[in-house]
Amino acid sequence: MGRARHFESAWHVPPIDDMLRYVIRRLLQAIPLLFIISIILFVLMQNMGDPLATLGGRQVTRSEDRQRLARQLGLDQPLYMQYLYWLIGNDWTKMDLDGDGVPETPGRRKGVLRGDFGVSLVAKKPVVQVIWDRLPNTLLLMGVTELVIIAGSLIIGMYSALRQYSFLDHLVTAISFIGYSMPIFFVALLSMYIFAVNFKRWGLPYLPTVGMFDPEVGKTPSQVALHMVLPVFSLSFIYFAAYSRYIRSAMLEVLSQDYIRTARAKGLPRPTIIFIHALKNASLPIVTVVGLDLPFLLAGAIVTERIFAWPGMGRLFLDHVSRGDTPVVMGILMMIAVAVVVFQIITDIVYAWLDPRIRYE
Amino acid sequence: MKGRTLYALLAIGVILALLASCKPAATPTTPPPAAPTTAPTAPPPTQPPARKVATFIWTQEFDVLNPLYTNMWFSSITQQIWNCWAWDFDDQNNPHPVLVKEMPSTENGGISPDGRVITLKLRDDIVWSDGTPITSEDFVFTYEMTMSPKNTVASTFPYDKLEKVEAPDPKTVVMTFKEPFAAWQATLWHGLLPAHVLRPVFEKEGTIDTAEWNRAPTVGCGPFVFKEWESGSFARFVANDNYWLGRPKIDEIFIRFVPDDASQVAALKAGDGDLGTFIAYSDIPTLEQAGVQMVKVFSGYNEGWYFYLHPEKGHPALKDVKVRQAIALAFDRFSVCKDLLLGLTKPPATYWANTPWQDPTLEPWPYDPERAKQLLDEAGWKDTNGDGVRDKDGVELVLTLGTTTREIRRDVQAVAQQQLAQVGIKLELANADSDIFFGSYGEGGPCATGQYDIFEYSTVTNYPDPETADWLCKEIPSDENPAGVNWQAVCDEELDGLFKLQATQVDPAERMKTFHQITRLIYEKVYWLGVWEDPDIWAVGPRLKNVRLSGATPFFNIVEWDLSQ
Repeated sequence: MGRARHFESAWHVPPIDDMLRYVIRRLLQAIPLLFIISIILFVLMQNMGDPLATLGGRQVTRSEDRQRLARQLGLDQPLYMQYLYWLIGNDWTKMDLDGDGVPETPGRRKGVLRGDFGVSLVAKKPVVQVIWDRLPNTLLLMGVTELVIIAGSLIIGMYSALRQYSFLDHLVTAISFIGYSMPIFFVALLSMYIFAVNFKRWGLPYLPTVGMFDPEVGKTPSQVALHMVLPVFSLSFIYFAAYSRYIRSAMLEVLSQDYIRTARAKGLPRPTIIFIHALKNASLPIVTVVGLDLPFLLAGAIVTERIFAWPGMGRLFLDHVSRGDTPVVMGILMMIAVAVVVFQIITDIVYAWLDPRIRYE
Repeated sequence: MKGRTLYALLAIGVILALLASCKPAATPTTPPPAAPTTAPTAPPPTQPPARKVATFIWTQEFDVLNPLYTNMWFSSITQQIWNCWAWDFDDQNNPHPVLVKEMPSTENGGISPDGRVITLKLRDDIVWSDGTPITSEDFVFTYEMTMSPKNTVASTFPYDKLEKVEAPDPKTVVMTFKEPFAAWQATLWHGLLPAHVLRPVFEKEGTIDTAEWNRAPTVGCGPFVFKEWESGSFARFVANDNYWLGRPKIDEIFIRFVPDDASQVAALKAGDGDLGTFIAYSDIPTLEQAGVQMVKVFSGYNEGWYFYLHPEKGHPALKDVKVRQAIALAFDRFSVCKDLLLGLTKPPATYWANTPWQDPTLEPWPYDPERAKQLLDEAGWKDTNGDGVRDKDGVELVLTLGTTTREIRRDVQAVAQQQLAQVGIKLELANADSDIFFGSYGEGGPCATGQYDIFEYSTVTNYPDPETADWLCKEIPSDENPAGVNWQAVCDEELDGLFKLQATQVDPAERMKTFHQITRLIYEKVYWLGVWEDPDIWAVGPRLKNVRLSGATPFFNIVEWDLSQ
């Protein structure tokens, strides 16, 4: 009976009506917030470079071409009109494409509110397609990395808390802090040097360092997994320290609580005490950090992707920012902004699930 | 006991990770030959030869492949692989007919006496990769798509010089220019669109901006046909069995996109790539040691100094040709090339160095600091106040030398500052990021707005055409003309007249004479001072054979390339 009560409290579900009202309220609050974010980003994008300047290739863009393209792409419009077209499209009005001063051609854009993020100024394909070509690669890399970080940090953090001041605690703490203090490019290049260059030189099996798969073999799961080892390792190594320290200190605090002593005194099995009672209560800080991290999984890891030539969102963002490709950059940034809002709401729901004391009014 | 369990878990994890790395990384190699098949009574089977796949290493990925929508160099140069120009340029920069039977001229009637009408006679055997004949309709269609206001093409040049393009028969293209256009040979028909593929798209969508062909041109007219483009990773082009000059010897061109120069060099050294480009001088020795051949290809680029000569805003010293000549004599560009660029290049005499357009008698200004001092004295610039810097009428001879932030340019600035100080000229150094440095007058760019007295960068004419607007009086930027490209604000009536004259000279021989005069004038008046010739450095791996590279169309003879296994 006591065991059933413990089980029930461990799997508490908050009242559905309250939670639903809370979620709806948060979503409604998010709408004006996203509008403000989009306006700020749009204005900032105007200072991020001139897309027309790079269209000349190795030569400066001709002034005649610059004027024509500005007219055709709507870049000669006032900023607020450009934002309006981006938001609601221009198929409700006509554009002057031939430069005679008379708008004659109906616009073709539907606008972001109708799901049309426009066409990349550089790649000449819909922004949604540009992003979709790379997003799965990033989700794969960053998703696996996040799982490895969480799993590894849980193991290290819990062990460190349970075996505080043991030799292994000191050892893994030292290693994780070394990783934390290294910049990502150093870890990435060092891992390439050891596991690819030197392993190959020593006649050992070695890891690939470039791309997502070997084109000669094809995009098979094993190829992708093999190519992911070094980038995932490089990224995880740096974050183990931070995450494991959060878990360690939270676990230590929880393990010293009275209810843990009571649970031990009642004779509960050790796994139940650690995983059901201690870990669950200690995981709130981790949920916060993971919740903040998850939206940025979409952004990719610019440095890592560049070093390992991983075709992800980070490289995409960098390439298109350098070309001043406003539609693509706005698409990526708004996707991240929406993800931040959504994942914050999810984090709040998970809080309430984890801690029955938390209620949302 | 619990601690041991954890130890065991960690140990298992490490072992698994090591085992996962046991599969060796496959590097791009030619795949094994296909399994042979035999007829029942056939003689013993022989192994078909391995596929010849040449790997190119690109440090930039294409933005788009359709020639109308990109001027990105890494995309444009692939057009000789999968698309076709009416004529290419060989490694001597001579035109090399591809789609036309011969180059039009006044002798063969291809150019009208007034120079306004140029007629192309197309070959009879040219076909698209799907077997459809290439006809004059494709040329007319390409022109129409370039000029249509519904297509956001990268540039309408030079088609906006045309009055009309007509196709009197399937093998004849007649172009009528508004005025004689001297640069026609170097600028026309850089790529062709298949009318039978794209016209239906234009009629349905109202534009070809988002046509799938722009990024996946499965119908082409080059020795290879587009096969695949994996965004961020690679692109593949396979041999075109319908190519009218015969199927190429190489079966596939595989272009791998790498993130930076270091990856390119590593791939070339390891033999994972057969061709790379824009190799830095500092990487040349290690690549040559690895058996990679370095090929210098002039594509018209030369690094040089431009002098700001605005009549009101320019420094008074620079307006005197003797001062500019003194600077040319006081700056030892030969030592810069020898010490900073490993002796792998030399100073150019003019903007048109390494082309037939430069007066062949011109040599770079020599290093002669004593003569430089003499000229400065003659010009009235003397150190009257003993501070080591010359002056005149109360104005110190202090000049700002601006350039981008590239390390080699910073090094050159430091050398120049030291050397010019020895003749009493003080150089103040300035640097700006490229996107700011190359900003136009309207954008407040420092060169265009006269913030630098001297500015240094590498640029080119409309190569292989010698035309440039950089010295035209009407191109001086101002509030009324913020996009003007004559950033030096040079307005020399004689020079201006010569540039206007050459633009009307359709006969290359006459035009060349005019350019010889232009180059001599610019040289003697030191409107531009060459610092180093800036060829493209290509790295050609030991497997590639029969490779010839040109500046304008590097892959002009790719159909003849071969690959040893």
